[in-house]
Amino acid sequence: MSEPTPTKKARGSVVIMAERCKGCGFCVEFCPTDALDLSSQYNAKGYHPPVLARKDNCTGCDICGMVCPDFAIYGFIKKPTKGH
Amino acid sequence: MATADPIGVLTGAHFIDGDHACSEGAIAAGCRFVAGYPITPSTEVVERIAERFPFVGGVFIQMEDEIASSIAIQGAAWAGKKTMTVTSGPGFSLMMEHIGLAAMTETPLVLVDVQRAGPSTGLPTMPAQGDMMQARWGSHGDYGIIALCPNSPQECFDLTIKAFNLAEQYRVPVLFMMDECVGHMIERVVIPSADKIEVTPRRMHTGSKEEYLAFAPKADLVPDMVKAGDGYHMHVTGLTHDEKGYPNMTVGTQARLVRRLVDKIKLNAEKIVDYREDGVEGADIVVVTYGITSRTALPAIEQARSEGLKVGHLRLVVAWPFPEKRIRELSSKVKAFVVPELNFGQMTLEVERCAAGRANTVCVPHAGGTVHNPKDIYEAIRDSVKGAK
Repeated sequence: MSEPTPTKKARGSVVIMAERCKGCGFCVEFCPTDALDLSSQYNAKGYHPPVLARKDNCTGCDICGMVCPDFAIYGFIKKPTKGH
Repeated sequence: MATADPIGVLTGAHFIDGDHACSEGAIAAGCRFVAGYPITPSTEVVERIAERFPFVGGVFIQMEDEIASSIAIQGAAWAGKKTMTVTSGPGFSLMMEHIGLAAMTETPLVLVDVQRAGPSTGLPTMPAQGDMMQARWGSHGDYGIIALCPNSPQECFDLTIKAFNLAEQYRVPVLFMMDECVGHMIERVVIPSADKIEVTPRRMHTGSKEEYLAFAPKADLVPDMVKAGDGYHMHVTGLTHDEKGYPNMTVGTQARLVRRLVDKIKLNAEKIVDYREDGVEGADIVVVTYGITSRTALPAIEQARSEGLKVGHLRLVVAWPFPEKRIRELSSKVKAFVVPELNFGQMTLEVERCAAGRANTVCVPHAGGTVHNPKDIYEAIRDSVKGAK
């Protein structure tokens, strides 16, 4: 299992722990900015974990983290970086 | 107003105890999920529920403890069922945290407490009324609550239906405060036909899914519910939440939410309070009772009246919210209140608070284990005016 990797850019982002996911799709359904999709990839258990498909949409509100039954995803607000 | 589903209504006259009457009341009211951890003296309620539920399409689960029971019924409530759990003192203590959760998440449910003598394990098979203040203040934080006190098997049936109706109307946990005497008392119970039983259906939201706000209150300060799985976005949490249901831990949200939880009972209190009066107008002394003490007080009241004392009787049917307005009114007309209780003075404190020194308030305490000797209540009535203004 790979380390959690935050995706870059935008105001917020999510961390996905794909191996914890059972593909219930709550995060995709509840995302208020429609930033997530279910991936076409499989995890080791054979489920499709979520993927941040539209990363510019993500605000880091963490509603995905709140509704995830398996603690497989959480959102965070990015710190503004200088020069951008 | 909707009426009961005939499948659960055993119309006719029965000779059953208060516990069984409570089960029948729940089934008639439409309760179809009960989780419980049987405990004397409430066991007969769940015994009958377990026996009857397969025939009405209900589910009963015997849980691992009272904590699990009181949380399982909340899951079932959000899945759209009318739910109930049943316990006695020690289990009631364990359920306190979840009464707070149900109050915070505005989950309609009925919690039956067949009171026995405490504290702790106490006298498992003997009566008391020691949980009355715990019913009001048992969970941490501020919230409004409703508690009912039946005094006969017939009332165990009638008021259980009322308890479910109030729970649905105001979306609060309703506490059904029986006592061992009423629970194990066998009397005639008349169950009317289903079309005579009024049942409050769940307040369901029917608008669009996009505009749904799980905790946006209506005019009576109560929000409408949806069922989990119907496709509405909802989030139910014990954390301070905004109208969407998402945690919002700010001073402003806390003030709005908790004020509403308190106000929805406080401002509707006049619609909820229920008491029975007998000879209160023109009385010098009013005996305030609830549950089994309302029956042990009767011989005492009769004796006092036969000796020329003007004694009235006020019986609380709804203990919480307390009928503050009525007691205040009476306190300026009467000389004394006498409050017999199977505890060392709990509802007495409320009577005393509302009397505010305008009338003498006398408690007739009892440690529980049996009922009052009417002689003690009579003597308290007789002596109550001696020290009064």
